[in-house]
Amino acid sequence: MATNEPLNPARPVESESPGGAEPGPSKKPDKDSKDDKGGNEKKDDQEKSSGSFECNICLDTAKDAVVSVCGHLFCWPCLHQWLELRPNNKTCPVCKAAISRDKVIPLYGRGADSSSDPRNKAPPRPAGQRTEPEPQHSFMNGFGFGGDGAGGAGGNFQFHFGIGAFPFGFFTLMNNGLNLGNNAQMPPGQSEDDVFLSRVFMGMAIFFVLWLIFI
Amino acid sequence: MSNIAAQRIQREFNEVIKSDEAQKFSIKLEMDGSDFRHINGEIAGPPDTPYESGNFKLEIKIPDTYPFNPPKVKFLTKIWHPNVSSVTGAICLDILKDQWAAAMTLRVVLLSLQALLAAAEPDDPQDAVVANQYKENRALFTSTARYWTTVHAGGKQLNPDFDKKIHTLLDLGVEKHQALVALSACDWNLDRALEQIFS
Repeated sequence: MATNEPLNPARPVESESPGGAEPGPSKKPDKDSKDDKGGNEKKDDQEKSSGSFECNICLDTAKDAVVSVCGHLFCWPCLHQWLELRPNNKTCPVCKAAISRDKVIPLYGRGADSSSDPRNKAPPRPAGQRTEPEPQHSFMNGFGFGGDGAGGAGGNFQFHFGIGAFPFGFFTLMNNGLNLGNNAQMPPGQSEDDVFLSRVFMGMAIFFVLWLIFI
Repeated sequence: MSNIAAQRIQREFNEVIKSDEAQKFSIKLEMDGSDFRHINGEIAGPPDTPYESGNFKLEIKIPDTYPFNPPKVKFLTKIWHPNVSSVTGAICLDILKDQWAAAMTLRVVLLSLQALLAAAEPDDPQDAVVANQYKENRALFTSTARYWTTVHAGGKQLNPDFDKKIHTLLDLGVEKHQALVALSACDWNLDRALEQIFS
């Protein structure tokens, strides 16, 4: 391969000069072996770390980055163009896994200014999918469910009662309990008994909570 | 768009030059002047194939829509291979057509072509005559491919028998490459080759 000679020496020098961080030509290691070893490692690390955030299509650092479900990183404008080009055969440009607009996840780095991308003619990249967490049950509701599950038939009344009783006042609660609860067995007017009962129930409730926690 | 193409070609050049394969002189890229749209490639024939010790030049044209569309690649060096036209050098390779993916690079293309030389696909031929010979008479295909490598790609394996037949045709005033093509296509049968040329 005689023709190889003119190619090899010329290109690397020319191409490496613009990127200042890249390791220079092979002369450096001669200077000081110890220091240079460390330096080279550092540079290798730099190269690797910047390499791992390159768009797989334009090979530049990914702008408006999105990542596919198969884990491959792209600029959104690049990927969008790729998907537009073959609407019937949407595959990952790297691994050819199925890919679609809805299945890529945008990466939001800190301090990124997405409007600064001049190539950004593509529609804005898809928003991240954000699932709201399950609405938090109030403490007593949680308790109530636990009671239903664990307490059996006898527990039901008490726990329903308890649900109402805790967050509000006893009396309000009492009414709620009496009017709404399926098991309102007590006739109205027996307030002393009611208070006593609700205390008993509350005690049982607390006991039950502790029991649930420690079991 | 061509902005991406220019930038990518520059990076891919660097990738090829730094690659192990380039260090071993197995693949090579050269830019045609300063125009990134016209690139000359070269691949070494893989060992243990009829293409061993040959160097095959490739013409690579980069479309403006690169990397969203594949580069247009063809062999400049004449080659006897089921998936390469022995006349035009056109290549039948899926990744240069519908199986292209934007993440593929020139290095991948060159290595794929090298792999194609090592493993032909006669059932999906570009050159039906070659593919037919590959399937019907594998030994003859191998020596023909080796002979083409020697004649066109700088291979070192000689074949005095084929040389003699070529010279017979040359003496009859047939142009050299025409003689080679005719003889190769006619399974090195002189009479049939003569018939084909002069019919």
